[in-house]
Amino acid sequence: MSEHSSWPEWIYVGVVVALLIYVGAEAWNIERIIEHIPSDAEIIQVTGQQWFWTFEHEDGTKEIGELHLKKDHAYKFEVVSKDVIHSFNIHDYVVLVDAVPGRVNTVWFSPDESGEFDIQCREYCGLIHYNMRAKLYVEDAS
Amino acid sequence: MICPINFSLALDDDPGKYINRKAEVWNLFYRMMTVAFVIGSVVSGTLIWLVWRFRESNNNAKKTKYEEQGKW
Repeated sequence: MSEHSSWPEWIYVGVVVALLIYVGAEAWNIERIIEHIPSDAEIIQVTGQQWFWTFEHEDGTKEIGELHLKKDHAYKFEVVSKDVIHSFNIHDYVVLVDAVPGRVNTVWFSPDESGEFDIQCREYCGLIHYNMRAKLYVEDAS
Repeated sequence: MICPINFSLALDDDPGKYINRKAEVWNLFYRMMTVAFVIGSVVSGTLIWLVWRFRESNNNAKKTKYEEQGKW
């Protein structure tokens, strides 16, 4: 085996390893960025149960099946479940986190467009899972 | 190459300056798809070239010393 040069193999291995390291580093970095919750984020308690969502604002205001938020504010969702595993999803804002009984999962986002958006359970949770929806209303802050 | 992201943007706690979660996630997705296709192209391209170049019927193929001597 000493009759030929093996540097092309090492370059090949190096390129592939470098790309894989890039993939890992980049994914880790983006996850770190999007998980950093702003200190001024308002906390919304989100409760999932068969088969509807309940929202509680910091001032104690409760909403069922709909959620009213202000544009360009940061919101931190503390998501829990009262029965089985659900998954809290605002598709248009790429918000997705499981609601697990006995556990508080958090996710944050800041709506940058006003309007109506769908909230949908994304974990099969029983007969009416398909209709476990809510409506997000994003209103201008003014 | 490894860190093209502006770190200061993400860790800025000033009110009104938030990351666009949707943009970050989809940008990551498209970058990962690009890398996946590059790796797929490099690996599969190398294999295709190897099979083509070192086939017995290639005009540039050289006999191994075992084949030249006719014994294994």
